[in-house]
Amino acid sequence: MTSLVDAPASVQTAIRPPAPGRRRSRRTWPIVALLLGPSAVLITVFIVLPAVYGVWLSLTNTQLTGFAARNPQFIGLDNYTYLLASADFLASLGQTGTFLFWSAIIGQTVLGMVAAVLLSRTWVRGKGFFGAALLMPMVVPEVVASLTWASVLATSPEGTLNRLTGLFGADSTAWLQDFPMLAIILVNIWRGLAFAMIMFQAALEDVPAELIEASRVDGASAVQVFRYVTLPLIRGPVFLYLLLTTISTVGVFGLVYFLTRGGPGGQTTIAAIYIYERALQFSQIGIGSAASIILLVIVLVLGVVYVRLAKVQV
Amino acid sequence: MTAISNPSAAPVVATRKRPLRPVDVVQRAIGYVLLVLLVLFCLVPFAWVVLSAVDADAGAIVKFPEFSFVNFTRFFSDPGTPLLLVNSLVIAISSTALNLALGIAGGYALSRFAFRGRRFFMFAILLIRVVPAPATIVALYLIMVNLQLANTLHGLILVQAVSGLPVTLWLMKGTVDAVPVELEEAAWTDGSTRLGAIRRIVLPVIGPGLGAAAMLQFMGSWGDFLTPLVLLQNQDLYPLAIGLFRAFTERNIVDWGLLAASGIVYVLPPAILYLFVRKHLLKSSLGGALKG
Repeated sequence: MTSLVDAPASVQTAIRPPAPGRRRSRRTWPIVALLLGPSAVLITVFIVLPAVYGVWLSLTNTQLTGFAARNPQFIGLDNYTYLLASADFLASLGQTGTFLFWSAIIGQTVLGMVAAVLLSRTWVRGKGFFGAALLMPMVVPEVVASLTWASVLATSPEGTLNRLTGLFGADSTAWLQDFPMLAIILVNIWRGLAFAMIMFQAALEDVPAELIEASRVDGASAVQVFRYVTLPLIRGPVFLYLLLTTISTVGVFGLVYFLTRGGPGGQTTIAAIYIYERALQFSQIGIGSAASIILLVIVLVLGVVYVRLAKVQV
Repeated sequence: MTAISNPSAAPVVATRKRPLRPVDVVQRAIGYVLLVLLVLFCLVPFAWVVLSAVDADAGAIVKFPEFSFVNFTRFFSDPGTPLLLVNSLVIAISSTALNLALGIAGGYALSRFAFRGRRFFMFAILLIRVVPAPATIVALYLIMVNLQLANTLHGLILVQAVSGLPVTLWLMKGTVDAVPVELEEAAWTDGSTRLGAIRRIVLPVIGPGLGAAAMLQFMGSWGDFLTPLVLLQNQDLYPLAIGLFRAFTERNIVDWGLLAASGIVYVLPPAILYLFVRKHLLKSSLGGALKG
């Protein structure tokens, strides 16, 4: 997740004209091949090839075991027509959408923005402590994050969340059985809040303080200033964040798999888990690959939409 | 909640020279309440792992611990768990070393030479970040099986080193860009070879960029769950991530104390590395500013 942050900032360095002292000559080719060649070959084999091979696999009936494992056949778009008519797959896409919308686009964005705006106030004391505490969920490994929440969501009346709701007089609930989607949305908000906060803090730093002060002097309330001055100015970074969080949320696997393994009754089989189950547990490589390609296309379409939206008024 | 945050808001209000309007006081109080709630939301889930790790009688829920380090001694004396830690260390350290070696060489080439296809290469590897990992894992698994690299540690190390390579290349390219080429040229005129100049001039000054790249790669590899889950079937090769997952899901009776202690052991290396690299980064950038 963190690694995605670096990409946009570095884009600008690439657009810069080549630094002086760089020489273009025939003699550079051997040394470039020597230095960059291994990276280029490895990236091709372990990143590009899987993507291309995935497209081919999605057009075959490849299996991990059985007859089709030895002799896979080209079957055209059969896997795609199967998937698009499959209630399980469509339900899985729907769950991915629900998970993405409520956890990333609403939850992380709103809470991350609240945290970033509050921490940008001059009157807040203890910013170091607040910032460090909010970063904790992001820096621990996925498996530890899941483990902590397994205890919070524990079914017994002494589970942390049940104790909390018990304060308000509610009966104890088996959160991961009765409200599995709500539970994983909550966990993913917790996990991704800090990334949103970091992105928005960086964006807010670029908003000129005089503009905010001028609006305040003109009698605008804090909420009005945020809505009409700050938000339009950070529109670009907000959509960039939405793009990055969409990619990483669609790629969430371990966090959900650890807690629910897609259950109960397939209620939390988000697309990543659907692909894993189909391809590697039911050994239907072809169908799993077709599902991967459909997911990839959806992410790309969303990406284009965000980029368009970000540019409208900037 | 209000009771907790009001005292912290009060001194701020009191020490102000200009008296605050009541509406400001209310806004600040609400601000502190929200911040405290967010912090509680972020920190409370960790209570179980921290308390249970030092609890001789740990269970699935948060309770006051029967304080002891017995879970940690069990972690290191258990027949299975130390191997998980060793595997995790081998995988993360090797993949980071390989990633950095490739990244430094490639980043130097991308920064110092203008060759055909350089811009295309940079943007192509940037585009790779758009692809979610679960979308390529199936084809990657089959390729690894065909290359006889599935279910081996070196196969996993190779995959993880390469998956972080686009980011490392970008970072190292930017870092080398910031080193004046004149320094290198001076070394060449003093009779140094190109590689000699890289070793003596470039490597010593790219520490902070290298540290950042190393930390990102190490944490990515250390925390990775999906790739080892798919690529490794042999129990003796499991890293901590998979070992913890199996211990949580596949045993009838979960050993909560051991699980929590393993979780703490699992969190420590990236935490220590983070603190160390951060301090080092601060020092080196400060040193550069003072010398400059």
